[in-house]
This record gives sequence, C-alpha cells and structure tokens, in this order.
Amino acid sequence: MRRTPLALLNLIHDRKKFLTSMAGVAFAVLLMFLFTGFKNALYDSQTQLLSRLNGDIVIINRLKENMFVPRAFARRRLYQAQAFDGVEGAYAIYISDARWKNPDTRKTRPVRVIAYNPSDPVLPMAEVLARQQELRLPNTAMIDERSRAEVGPRETGVITELADREIRVVGTFSLGTDFASGNGNLIMSDQNFLRFFANRGPEEEERSFATADIGLLRITPGTNIDTLVQALRDGLPQDVLVLPMNGPEGFIARERTYWEENTNIGFVFSLLTTMGFVVGIILVYQILYTDVADHWSEYATLKAIGYDNAYLFGVVIQEAVILSVLGFIPGLLISALFYNLGAAVTGLLFQLTLRRVVNIYMMTFIMCLISGAIAVRKVQRTDPAEVFGL
Amino acid sequence: MTAPRSSSTTSGLPPAAEASIQVRHLNYFFGRGDLRKQVLYDISLDLHPGQIVIMTGPSGSGKTTLLTLIGALRSATDGSLRVLGQELVGLGNRQLVEIRRNIGFIFQAHNLFESLTAAQNVEMAVELTGNFRGKRQQAVDILSQVGLAERADYKPAALSGGQKQRVAIARALVNQPQLILADEPTAALDKQSGRDVVTLMQHLAKEKGCTILMVTHDNRILDVADRIINLVDGRLESDESPQQFADSHAPKSLDQKMFIL
Repeated sequence: MRRTPLALLNLIHDRKKFLTSMAGVAFAVLLMFLFTGFKNALYDSQTQLLSRLNGDIVIINRLKENMFVPRAFARRRLYQAQAFDGVEGAYAIYISDARWKNPDTRKTRPVRVIAYNPSDPVLPMAEVLARQQELRLPNTAMIDERSRAEVGPRETGVITELADREIRVVGTFSLGTDFASGNGNLIMSDQNFLRFFANRGPEEEERSFATADIGLLRITPGTNIDTLVQALRDGLPQDVLVLPMNGPEGFIARERTYWEENTNIGFVFSLLTTMGFVVGIILVYQILYTDVADHWSEYATLKAIGYDNAYLFGVVIQEAVILSVLGFIPGLLISALFYNLGAAVTGLLFQLTLRRVVNIYMMTFIMCLISGAIAVRKVQRTDPAEVFGL
Repeated sequence: MTAPRSSSTTSGLPPAAEASIQVRHLNYFFGRGDLRKQVLYDISLDLHPGQIVIMTGPSGSGKTTLLTLIGALRSATDGSLRVLGQELVGLGNRQLVEIRRNIGFIFQAHNLFESLTAAQNVEMAVELTGNFRGKRQQAVDILSQVGLAERADYKPAALSGGQKQRVAIARALVNQPQLILADEPTAALDKQSGRDVVTLMQHLAKEKGCTILMVTHDNRILDVADRIINLVDGRLESDESPQQFADSHAPKSLDQKMFIL
C-alpha cells in the first residue's frame, strides 16, 4: 500500500477546475513553444538550403558574408581547386533573384533561382534527380512546393514568366523559404540560367559562366577535410574564402551565426518566450494558491494532527509537477499542430526536435516549481491553532 | 457564584493514577510589548485517564487557548504543562508536532478533504504512524465502530452532517490516542446527531480508557461529562461534577449566567 495520493486527488476532484488548470498550463506551454518555434524556424530556415548541398568544402567570394550578399567569385578558382589532392569534384552553383509572375494574379514576386549543371550531384533530392532530363530543356525550371502562396500554383505544368521571359515548370521539389529566398525557390540548369540572366537589361547585372556564387567541392573518401581546407586556403588566391561545410567553423554554422548576431530575432523571441514563462508562473500560482486557500482548514487540520511543513510542501510541489506534466502534453500536441500550420503558411522550417521538446518541458517544470514554491508559503504560514474556535 | 474553587487534584479518579494532563500555574499571554495581554491566569488542573471533561465558559474566557496549549498547537512559556507524561513548556515546533501525533483532534467543522473518501480521510491519520500496509483495514474497522462501515468509500459530499462528524471522530480515534481534544464537536449538528456523536465518544472513552477534553456550549450534552470545568476571564472558576454544575447553575439562582452560556 502506498501513501494516499492527496495531491493528485485534490487536483482532479473538481473536474471542471482541473480542466481549466490544465488548459492554463497548456496555454503557457503553447506560448513558449510558439515563440521558440518562430525563433528556431527563422534560424533553421536560413540553413535549410545549405544543409542540402552535397559537398564537403565550400568556396565563396570573400565578401559574401551571408547568403543575402550577391557576390560571385571567379569560376577559375574551382578548376584550380580541382587540382588539389583529395578533391574529387568541384561544382559551380549560380544563384540570382528574379521576378516571378504569379500566373493567376499576374503580380510579380521576387524568387530565388538556384542553377547548376544537372549532371553534377549538387542537390541530390529524389524529385530533382528524377527530372534531370526535363531540366535540360530550354526555359524550364522546377519550383519549390513550399514556396509562399503568393507565387501562385506550385505545380508541374505551370507556364508563366520569370524575368519577363516565358518559363515552364517541369517539376516540384520541397525546400522552403528563408530571408534570402524571397517568396520561393526555383531550380534550373546552368544553361537556362544563362538564358535568363546573361542579358537582363542595362540596370541588371549580367551573369556568365565566368563567375559562380557557391563552389562545392566533393572530396575523395579518407581525405582529412581540415588539412585540405588549410591547403586550399594557402594555395588559392585571397579573393575566395574556403570553408568546410559542417562543423563549428563551417559554412552552415557561419550562416546561422550571422543571422543570430546581426538580427533582433533572438532578442525579440527570447523576450516573448520569457513572457510566456512568466504568464505560466502566474497562472500556475493562481491555480495552486486557490487550491491551498480552498482547502485551508483541511491543511491546517493535517498540521494539527501531526503532519509537518515538509509534507505539505511535498503536496503542493507534487500538484505543481502533476500540472506541469498534464498541461505539457496537450500543450505539446497543439504546438505540433501550429508548427505544421506555420510551416505550411510561411515555408519556414519548423522543427520539433526531441531536444527542444525536452527544453520546453524543463522550462514548464521550473515554471510550475517556482509557482509551487510561492504558493506553498501560504500553507506553511498556516497556524494549526486557528482551526480551533472557527 | 457559590461554586468553590476546587483544588486541582481531587475530583475524578483517585490521585494515585498518573494524570494524562497535569497543568501547574500556567499563564499565557497574547501579543508582545504594550499590546501584551494576559489570557490565562495561573491555571492548575489534572485530568485522568478515562475521564470525560467538559470545559465551558463565556466566549473570550480562554477555553480555546487552553485547549490549543494542551494540544501542543501553541507553545506555552510560563508555568508547567505536562501532557501524556511530556513537559510541553519550552519545546520547539518540531517536538510539538511529535506530541500532536499522540493526540486525537475533533473540530467544530469536520475538515475532511472533499477529494478523499471517508476511509482515505481516516487513512491520512494512520499514515502518520507509518503503517501503510494495514491502513485500509484500520480505517474500515474504526469506521464500523462509529457505524459507518457501509459508507467507507463515500466522499464527504455524499454524507450527512452527522456522518461527516463521525468520520472526523474516526480520524481522531484511529490511532488510539490517550488524549482526545474536541472543540464544539456538536455545534454544527442537530439534536439527535449531536447526541449520537457524544454517546459514541463516551462509549469509546470508557472502552479505550482515554481522556477526553471537550469545549462546548451545548447544554444538551453536559450529562456525558465526569467533570465540568468553568473558565471565566482566563481563570478557573469552578471544577465540579455534572450534578453540582446543574445545581449551581439552576436557572432560579443564576439567570444572568445562563445568558452568558
């Protein structure tokens, strides 16, 4: 036999009140999930294209501080890099923004065009690999089905205009938007890229195969990336930057760090998350305090018959922990729903990783603990002598 | 006011038996500094096992204060107060909690947890003894002694006022305390339920040989007492048998006092 589970029974005794309490905690959990979700989505989305690129080492213009900066580098550098021991392949990626006409509304929206030689394994996504032949046809492209709704229907067969030139959509892929992508992404062959961007008019930059935006290097298995990166840095002219793809000093980490350090996203959403946390503390405190106040004479009686403060402290803290668990579960489920919704509407990457779930649960737990610690003072001050002569 | 102020050791059982409660020259004050106010003056009193003692007196006379001091719910500082062989004066909070575990408390309100069944409410008291294995059996046993065997798994909301008070009594009795302190246990009950409750207490006191100290204004139940103590303005006014009490408080001679009661 166990101890009578007083905390649990007190909490669930009044069903209606219990559901309201749970909803309160769930709401605080939802707030925290949403705000950290938006923050992470904005950060994660910046690197979703980069982390799909199939390369071990990246070469970019030294001035390309982030993906937003349209600085290209001389494609010669890629051929030079190819001469180094351990470099298996070097691929050029061309990136440009262009106006895309929504075929339904006839309004133009900027989108990002990613171009490369379809024979190069740059973006090894199954949908893309399956459309290699179609991409080689003139004036064709594939569209990101997670582009924002403003670009119109994101499906195969759409014929519209890109940079005032007719384009046919021959397939879709799934990537998602970020700060640099505008309203969505297109993938096309390098040949088509030339057709669209070689001669766009006097105000626009003329693109050619002489420059590339990102250079991808594949290395032969067994090569040490760090030594190769060092060798490339020493061997190549100083106008390019050589970075490993992954790792703390890598290209992906650098992009994420840029947005973390140069925008207010982190501050704003951390502030909002903290507010969700505080709202949670107040809500849970209210719930626990009401329980203590409603059962004041019963708790005082327990003290009178010989229960000590530690026991009552335990009861209130148990209530707090039970609330944190029971409120967290619905909060998590609703948040998952909102994450899907948010991803569908914005094209941003909303990831609900185990670590983030654990983090938010820890915050919920601490939130309930703080509330419990404040509410418990009421019980501890209870003077059992006052139960007499009421 | 003809009642003599009786000496503290005489009434009730022979003096040889060890007293459950032994009070000597107890003074008690509320507040401190300029606001310090004395509420109990030089109380000396012995209560013996098997006795039912009723404490009466006008409100503000210090009855409840004396009850809470004996119940180790307040710490006494002046004089001597021995409860169940243990001196309470000068004890710390932690030790007072220990003492309280050996005392059964019955309050005016039943103070049962609405979320727990009758049996669970009683089990809360059993758990204090660390007996987790037999707690259910003990609770059911005591509930059947107070006539609530059938209602063991009912929550308080499904019980009548008298039944709830009987559950509270079961909770006070379940650990077989040597001392039971009751504060107006019948005040919230109708005549019949009130009578049932005190008869039950009387019966249990005789059977288990415990001391019962009860504060009450309820004239209907004075007859169960072995002794009646009257407290006025913090002083022990009289200590007599129910018969003496009834005589001295006969309406003819003491109209005014009846109003106060």
